[in-house]
Amino acid sequence: MAATFKRFFDSDVARTVSKLHEAIPITGTIVSGTYTESGDGTNIKNYAHGMFQSVYDYPYLSSSANHIFDTTVGYSANSGLSGSASVQNTKKINIYNQMAQILVEKDVNGNIQEFDQDGNISAGGTKMQECVFISLARLLTKDEVKKQSFSLQVLTGGANSAPSDIETVSDYNALTEYKVNSPAGEYGLLYTSSTGITTSSAVGHLYYQAGIAVLTASVFDGEFGPMNVSIGTASINQVLTGGTIESSSTGLRNRWYNLDFNNTTELNSSIYFCRANSNEFNYSSNPTYLSGSKLVVKNDFDDTPVSYVTSIGLYNDKNELLAVAKLSEALKKDPTNELTLRVRLDY
Amino acid sequence: MGFLDNSGDIILDAVLTDTGRMRLARGDGSFKITKFALGDDEIDYANYNKNHTSGSAYYDLEVLQTPILEAFTNNASSMHSKLLSISRTDLLYLPVLKLNEQQTITQRVSGPGNFGYNTFLVTVDENTEKPDNGVIATAEQGVILGSGTELDPATANFVRVDQGLNTVATVIPPTRALQGDLVENFYLVEIDNRLGKITSKTSPSEVAPLSFIDDDNMATYQVSNISGGGFVVSNNNTDVVGESGAEDQVITGPRGTRLDFRIQASDDLFSSDYYFDLFGSTGTKNSVAVKFIDTFIRITGVSTGYRIDIPIRFLKKD
Repeated sequence: MAATFKRFFDSDVARTVSKLHEAIPITGTIVSGTYTESGDGTNIKNYAHGMFQSVYDYPYLSSSANHIFDTTVGYSANSGLSGSASVQNTKKINIYNQMAQILVEKDVNGNIQEFDQDGNISAGGTKMQECVFISLARLLTKDEVKKQSFSLQVLTGGANSAPSDIETVSDYNALTEYKVNSPAGEYGLLYTSSTGITTSSAVGHLYYQAGIAVLTASVFDGEFGPMNVSIGTASINQVLTGGTIESSSTGLRNRWYNLDFNNTTELNSSIYFCRANSNEFNYSSNPTYLSGSKLVVKNDFDDTPVSYVTSIGLYNDKNELLAVAKLSEALKKDPTNELTLRVRLDY
Repeated sequence: MGFLDNSGDIILDAVLTDTGRMRLARGDGSFKITKFALGDDEIDYANYNKNHTSGSAYYDLEVLQTPILEAFTNNASSMHSKLLSISRTDLLYLPVLKLNEQQTITQRVSGPGNFGYNTFLVTVDENTEKPDNGVIATAEQGVILGSGTELDPATANFVRVDQGLNTVATVIPPTRALQGDLVENFYLVEIDNRLGKITSKTSPSEVAPLSFIDDDNMATYQVSNISGGGFVVSNNNTDVVGESGAEDQVITGPRGTRLDFRIQASDDLFSSDYYFDLFGSTGTKNSVAVKFIDTFIRITGVSTGYRIDIPIRFLKKD
C-alpha cells in the first residue's frame, strides 16, 4: 500500500524542559536622567492616585516605549513612621499590606504578616516594616529572575545633588539557599556583601517568579530623596513620612546606579523522531518526479528509486498540517539509507 | 587523523502553522500531532541527470545544490508534494491524476477568448442559470449549475478526475490491471468554504463528507470509494484510448479509480454580492453584465500524494 503519512508511536515522541536566560541591564541613566520633559518627554510615568511610579525605557508617550519596572514605598501599620501626620499615611500602609499579602504567607487566622528579615517567620525575629518595592515588568523577567544573578547597585552616601558611595545589593548564595515559604513562589535574601552573611544581615527579599524586590528602607542610611528637593533632613525616614510615594520613588531612582539580572524563560519542547526506514519515502509525488507516469530518476526497473527531503510536516488525524520544519539542504533518501530526523516543537 | 565536524545541529526546529495555532488556541484536543510526512517542494527532479557521463555520484549534483526556503507558517503553502512510501523498489511508473475532459459534460469552457476559458463556470443562483436571462445557454459546455436545483445526473455537467498510469499503450496497456498498492481510494478535495462546497454528481443535496475547515476558510472534504455518494468509483475500463469503447477515457495505461463531483455555490454567494465585490471582478458574458470570482479546487490522492488544481469561476448575473 502506498502511503504519504507515517504515524508516530509513543516512543517516537520525547518531551523536555529547557531554560533560556537573558542578561538584563538597567542603568541609572535610563532610570534617572536620560529623558526629560524638556527633551523628548519623560520616561517616568506618575499617576493621579499616587500609589506608584512607572519607569519606561523611552518616553512613555511613544509607541516604542517599553514598561520596565515600577517603584513604590510603604510601611507597616506597626511601624514607628505610621501616624496621621505622615503624608499619604494610609496609602503607604495599603501598599505595604498589599505587597505583604501577595508575597508573605498569612498566619493561620488569615492575617497579613510583615516581611521577615531572614524569611523565618515562625521564629519571629526582625521584621522589615518600612520597605522600598521594585516590581520588574514581565517583559524583563519573563518566567522568573535567575537565582544569584540579581545585582542592584545603589548610591547610599553623599548629598542628593551628588549621590555617592556605591553599595551592591545582591542575592548572594541564592542558588543553594533560597526560600519557598512565600505564596508567590521562591525568594532569596538580599545582602550588601557576599562575606559575613548572617541571618541578621539581609536587607531585603527578591521574589524570583513574581519579579519583585523588597528592600528595607534602612539600607539607605544616608541622605535620601529627589535631587535638589529638600524634605526634612533628607533621611529616608524623613522622606517616608514627609514626602509622597511619588517623591520617595523619585528618591530611589536618584540613588539608582545600576541593576543587572538574568531572566529565565522555560521552554517546553516536544521532540518528534521522524524515522524513515530503508523501504519508506523513496518515491515522490512531486509533479517533476514523473514524465508520462515514468520516474525521471530511473532508467530501468532495477535502478534504485531516490527522493530528496527538504521539509517535514507534522499532522493531526484529520491530515491538517499543524507544524513544519525545514532542512537546510536537501537530504537524499533511497533504499540504502535510513533517516531519523529529530524535530523540536517549542511551547 | 582529524576530528569529524560536529558543529551542525541535527535537531530541526519546527514552526507552528496558522492552523496549528488555531487548533492550539481552540483547546478542544484537535491539536494532537499523530503523524508526519516528508516533503520536497523545492526539488525539481528534472535536474536529476541519471545519464551523467561521470557516473552516479554526479547524478544529483544540481539537486543537492537546491536552496531551501524557510518554513511558511501558512498551512496551505507548505508540503505540496510529499514523499511516498512503497515497499517495492522496482517501480518504474507511478500513477497520476488527470482531469478527464473526454465527454462534453466533463469539459471546461473551451475556445481561447471565450468567457471563462479553461475554467469550470459555476452559477450561484437561479437568476444566472435561467436560459431566458441570457447568461448561459441550456446545457452549455463548462457550466456547472451550482444554485442547488435538482439536476438530471445523466446530462448535467460535472468534474471528473481519473487516476492511473498514464503510460503509452505499447509500454503498459490499460488491459493490464493497476497494481493494488497504486490504486487511490481516498481523495482530499479542497475548496474555499466561503464560495462553495463539493456535492455528489448524482444529487446536489448530497454534500461530500467534510473533514475540516482551516483558519483561511479552506474546506477539506475526504471522499472514498466507501463513503457513499458515488464520488469515487473504480475505473474498470480496459479499452485502449483511441479505440472503440475508450471514448471517455483519459488515462492511457492501467486505470485505478475516478473521482466525480459537482460544485454547489455557498449561501453567501447565493444571497449576497459581498464576496464578488470584495475579491471578484465584473465582466460581460453573452452581452449580459456578470460578476465573477476566480478560484480553484485542489484534489490530492491520500495514498499516492499526487495532486492537481482545477480552475473554477463562480458566476453571478449582475
